This record gives sequence, C-alpha cells and structure tokens, in this order.
Amino acid sequence: MDAIRAEGLTKRYGETRALEALDLRVAPGEVYGYLGPNGAGKTTTIRLLLGLHRPTAGRAALFGTDAWRDPVAAHRKVAYVAGEPFLWPSLTSAETFEFLARVRGSEDRAYRDLLIERFRVDPDKKVRALSKGNRQKVQLVAAFASRAELLILDEPTAGLDPLMEVAFRETVHEAKERGQTIFLSSHILSEVEAVCDRVGILRAGALVDEGTLQQLRHLSAHTVEVTFDGPVPPLPELAGVHAAEAGESALRLEVSGPLRPLLAALAELPVVALTSREPSLEEIFLHHYDAGDGRVGG
Amino acid sequence: MGASAASAHAAPERVRTRPPHGAAAAIGRRAFADGRVRTISFAALFAFIAYVNVSGYAHSFPTLQDRLTFVRSFGNDASVRLFYGQPYDLLHVGGYVAWRVGGTGALFAAAWGVLAAVRALRAEEDAGRWELLLAGAVRRRDAYLAALAGIGAGWLVLWAGLWLGCVGGGLTAGGSAYFALAALTPALVFAGIGALASQLAPSRRVALELGMVALAVLFVLRVVADTSTGAGWLRWATPLGWSEQLRAFAGPRPLVLLAPLAATAALLWAAGAIALRRDVGSGVLQAHDRRAPRTRLLSSPTAQALRGERGSLIGWLAGVGAFAFVIGVISTTFQTARLSESIRRELARFGANLLTPSGILGFYFLFFMLAISLFACAQVAAARREEAGQQLETLLSLPLGRRRWLAGRLAIALGGSVALAVLAALLAWAGARSQGAHVSLADMLGAGANCLPAALLFLGLSALALGAWPRATTGIAYGLVSVAFVWQLFGSALGAPSWLLGVSPFHHVGLVPAQHFKALAAAIMLALAAAALAAALALFARRDLTGE
Repeated sequence: MDAIRAEGLTKRYGETRALEALDLRVAPGEVYGYLGPNGAGKTTTIRLLLGLHRPTAGRAALFGTDAWRDPVAAHRKVAYVAGEPFLWPSLTSAETFEFLARVRGSEDRAYRDLLIERFRVDPDKKVRALSKGNRQKVQLVAAFASRAELLILDEPTAGLDPLMEVAFRETVHEAKERGQTIFLSSHILSEVEAVCDRVGILRAGALVDEGTLQQLRHLSAHTVEVTFDGPVPPLPELAGVHAAEAGESALRLEVSGPLRPLLAALAELPVVALTSREPSLEEIFLHHYDAGDGRVGG
Repeated sequence: MGASAASAHAAPERVRTRPPHGAAAAIGRRAFADGRVRTISFAALFAFIAYVNVSGYAHSFPTLQDRLTFVRSFGNDASVRLFYGQPYDLLHVGGYVAWRVGGTGALFAAAWGVLAAVRALRAEEDAGRWELLLAGAVRRRDAYLAALAGIGAGWLVLWAGLWLGCVGGGLTAGGSAYFALAALTPALVFAGIGALASQLAPSRRVALELGMVALAVLFVLRVVADTSTGAGWLRWATPLGWSEQLRAFAGPRPLVLLAPLAATAALLWAAGAIALRRDVGSGVLQAHDRRAPRTRLLSSPTAQALRGERGSLIGWLAGVGAFAFVIGVISTTFQTARLSESIRRELARFGANLLTPSGILGFYFLFFMLAISLFACAQVAAARREEAGQQLETLLSLPLGRRRWLAGRLAIALGGSVALAVLAALLAWAGARSQGAHVSLADMLGAGANCLPAALLFLGLSALALGAWPRATTGIAYGLVSVAFVWQLFGSALGAPSWLLGVSPFHHVGLVPAQHFKALAAAIMLALAAAALAAALALFARRDLTGE
C-alpha cells in the first residue's frame, strides 16, 4: 500500500487554480523530494494530503485512508511540520512537546531528548521568545520524536543555520534507516539532492517531472562544451542538440538523448577540447522554469 | 539634451526627499485605518445614543414638575449614579444628556483610547511591522508622532459622531461641541495611558491588561466619588471625574480642560521618551520567557484552550462578580422613592418596575445577559484566533477531529457562561441580603439562568459565523450582540414598531426576578441556538482551514 497516493487531485481557490489533476505515489520507506518555487502549489498539495483543505476534485489517501473523509484515522501514522512555525506562544518548548505528544497519544521520549540535544532546543523557553528558526526546530523535534510512519515536512529547513541543517540531514537519514517515509517539500536543491530517493518537480500546480535523480539526469540534457582550433565551424542539424552559448572558438551545447550522433559529427571537425557532464539538480530545475518549453526527454 | 539631463537629475532628487515624510504619513494613515471599524462603530453608537436621549427628553419629562421629581428621586439614586455619574442639571435637556450620555460615554471613550493606543503602538510592534518601518527611512520620533496623529484622527471621528448626534437631536452647536469635547477627554488621557503601557509592557496582551486595569481603578474612583457622601474631591483624581467636572450644559468650567490636557501631554511625553530609548520588541518590564514545564491542562486541545483562556475567564468572573455584588447592595436604595406617573412611564420602558429591589435587579440582569453574551462571543473569537494563527493546522494534522476541537471550544464557552450566570446570581443575592432586602436565592438563580438562552443564542450565531465566514467571525459576533442590545435599549425611544423591536433577542426575555420567566421565548432561543451550533459544527468540518 502506498504511503501517499493522490489521484487527479485538484484544488481551485475561486478563479485561481492552485493544483491541477495531480497524480502522486510515494512508497513506504521512500524519501520523496517535492520541488517547486514559491506559489507552485507545494503547500496546497500538503494541505490536501492532510485533509486540511477540501479537494475540488480527485482524492488523496495516506496509507489507504482518505484524508478528507476520515482525517483522524489518516493522521494516526503521520507527523507534519508546517511551513510557518506558528505554535502556542505562551507554552514553553517542553510544554509544546508534551501537549503534542498527548494529543497524538504516543512519543519516543528518549529519542525526543536526543533530538532536543541535537537541535540545541532550550526546552524551558516560551515559544513567543523564540526566533523563527528556533520555532522551526521545536516543530522538527516534535515531528521526528513521534516516530510516525510518514513525515510530511513543508520547507522544514527554512530559517535553520548550516549546523542545524546538518542535524536535520542526519535525522532524516536515521528516519530512513528505520523505514519511515518522508515527504519533503523544498526549494533548497542541495538538500533534496542530499537526502531524497525520488524527486517531483511542480510547476504552476502541475507535476512537470518526476523520477529518481539518476533518471532525471539521464532524461535531461547533458552539457557538452567543445573548443575548436580556430573559429566555430558550422555544425549539421542534429535532433536533440542545440547550442546554448557560442563564443569565438568555443561552443556550449545542450544534448538531450544519446550523445553518439553529436560525437560522430564532431569527429570530422578540428576539436581541441571536449567536456561533457551530467546536469545538476539545479540545472534540471532551472530548465523547467527558465525555458518554459515544458518537458525534457520525458 | 541639457534639459533632459536636468530632469534626469531632478527625478532622483525628488525621490530622495520624499520617503521620510511619506513614510511617516503612511504610518499615521495605518494607525487610523487599523482601528477604523472600531472607531466608526463607536462614533455611530455615540451619535445614536446622543440623538435618542436628546429627542426623548421632552417626551419623557414634559413638565417642570416631572423634572423636579426626577431630580429628587432617580437622579439622586446611588445605583443610577454608579453608571451615569453625578448629574448637575437635570432640569434642562442639555444637562440631562450630558449626564445620561456623558457618564457612560466617557467610559466607552476611555476604553477606545486604550485599545487604539495599544493597537497603534504595540500590536504593530509585536507583529514585527514596526521593526520593518524603523529599518526604513523613518526616525523613531517621527514614527511615534505619526502613530499618535492616526489616533488623534480617530478621536476626531468620535467627537464628530457625538456632536452630530446632539445637534441632530436639537441641541446648540456650540454647547454640543463643548459637551462632546468634555465627554471624550478620557479618550485622550487613556490613549496616553495606553501609549505608556505599550512602552512598559513586553507584549500587546500585557499592555492591554495594564491599560484595562488602570481603567478599572480610575472608574472605581469615580464611582466612589459619585456615590459616597464626602468623597466628591476624589473626582479630581480620575480622568472620568474631570470629564464630569467640565460640566457641559451645566455651568461649563473650561479651565478644567487643563487637567486632561496636561495629563495626556505628560503621559505621551513619558511614553515617547521610553519609545526613543528602548530596544524594539522589548518593554521596560521584563517578560518572563523561561520557566520549568507546567504540564497541567495539556492533556487535550480543550484542556489546553482552557489553559490559554484561564486569565481571561478569571477576569470575566471577577468583573461580573464585583459588579453583581454592587448591584445587589444598591438594589435597596429605591424603595422609598416617590415617582410621578410620567417617570413611571419612563422607567416602565425599561420593562421592569424599578421601584423594588427585584425591579432593579431584573433591570440590571439585562446587562449581565449582555456581558455573558459578549463572553460567549469572545470565546468564539479566541477559537478563530487559533485558526487564523495557524496553530489549528498543526493540531488538526494530529489524529484529532475537527468537530471535537470546535465542540471543546464551545464547551468552554458554555461552561464559562453558566459559571458567570451562577456567580452573578449568587453575588447579587449576597449583596442584596447584606442590606436586608427580601430577595430569595432561588429567584436570583432564576435571574442568572434567564441570562443563558440569549447568551447561548449569540454563542450559536457566532459559531455559525466561524463555520461559514471565518474571516468575518469576530466582527459578526460582537456586531450582532452590540446592535441587538443597543436596539433593545433605545429602539423604543425612536418609536420603532414592535415587530422591528422584536428582531433583538433581548426584547423577548422577561426581566427575572421582577417579571415572569418567558418560557416559550427561552425555548425558541435555545432551539435556535442548538440548530446554529449543529450547523456550525457541520459547516466547520466541511470547509478549508483559513488563515488570516
């Protein structure tokens, strides 16, 4: 059974289409990176998955339970870290942990204490006196200490300093080793690259690309840089190859699909240097947003 | 070429010189706009009540004999002066209005002053917007003065409302102008108190509490001054007393204006001096932000909500309890009064025979009904705040049903309402008995219980607003109660037909113990309340959670 399953999930707020017929499956034990810029529909997706907002069409299920129809049952195995760390200002961190654990009905107390240490949370300080990053840490500790089977994290590292980001990655790895599923919404690509098994890229309410990093790289354009002995000679038209940048005697090419035809064509030409590299996640991501020409390879 | 170069130079010049001024003006406009709904509501209320009282006077007291009797009895009664203050001239419409409208008006104006100042000077800061402004091209002094200007603009709106009501009813323009000024001086002084509290307190909530405590203390001083013999000098110790001493329409003493003006200036100067020196986001009083965990009342969302509302609940209980006891004590003072027929008519308009302790108590329990209704609204507003602040999103991502959460919140409102009603009954009874009045405990508990159907109806309607129009919840809740109450008190003076008066639930309650309990009306209100609550739960479970 999928940890998360969305079928044709659609949400409109008045005239605004926030999410359009999203199909999504996340398997148990998977760490899924949900990428997209601000306003792409990441938070909307999460609110629909949790049944906090009502889908205009389609359905979302967590471990097979419809989150809108039966949120209580659906939430038993879920912990959520909200994008904005609004908690109860008059409670201290320790009281917040206690409250959330009691409402949930379970908590790994020893692990919680370890996380308090790791994230350097001051348990006796009231939430209202905490900075945004520190409130975020309180949310993270509460969510991970629940040992829930599915963790839904909405931009969890916004406001965290680099040290805490390391702590976060360590904690995600621990959760993964335990077999917990993680749905990580983010626009911090290095973080997603570091911890996620599979990535979905959201644009304007629709999933434009999805796969393992390996698949995304494979299906996306390679970057090939060629330096010639002398001015750049004319190249034959090749399917899947286009020039991204041209200099006096150098050329940068984006190649989607196999490299062979290009290499064959170059073999005839006075090439002095050739480099080829896989795209970074950032390039894949930017490709979907910059070019506006939709899907690559997929 | 030369000309275009000159204009290219001129453009940045303009841009450079504008921001400080423009930003300060924006802060002032913001300070006014943030409170405009409240300010305009208060101004409309003042205008309405002034108009009704001015135009109703000649009708109620047509002859000099009527007026003299009124002065000797009603006007000199302690229970009446408690609210309205000391009358100086009840033989003329101006003096009557200055007393009837000025006394309570000053109290409302004072509350407005605290709310407006804390809103403009502290709430903005707590929300982080103040920091944003000061990081721009605005000096602290200009920002502070601009916020004060915004409050001042709001005060002018209040003044205009009261003046229009008086003039519209037929009072002279000049006299009305002075009266409106006199009645609203407390708004200025209490804006000063609110401004100072905003600098002393570490947060908006504490600033509001400080301001309201100051208001309570200064109100009690005025009550003592107006109701105890030989304590009249105390009037000089409170801004609410200064307002009386200005004696609008009764031999005005404009020199007294120096007192509120000097006090306001001193308070604002002190607040300003602190505002220029302290760190943004802190207060002179230290916030207690660290403590060992207290784990009581954390077992469920309802328990935690009760924990959050504990302070507010205690405040309501203390206020209603103290008020009830005082009403009980003074309920006996009317027994010996002899009133003329026309005054009986005037009093009968309230719906009770005010000449007996039961009558007084029955009449004043209408105010407890109002207070408990407002408490119920405040509880729904608190529930809405938990949703708007997105804490609810965190809660409802746990295995917790929406209906259970809302039902818990409503249960707190219900329990608190019952506690307030019982406490009001007990303490009013104790107060009356302490003066030897013959009022039975059972009757008083009946009076308390009689408050509940209307309060629950307003609870239901507020909850319905939360279910259907989340963003408008607080406005709808308080708006319905206030309009219904003001309409019941003053609608009849406008000669409104009874079906139109009947839209207010307060119109349908018997003034227990003076009148019979109206079982049918109560049953209908309870049924409507139950239907509204059920609809509210259903609607709330089926809508998107809605932030601010």
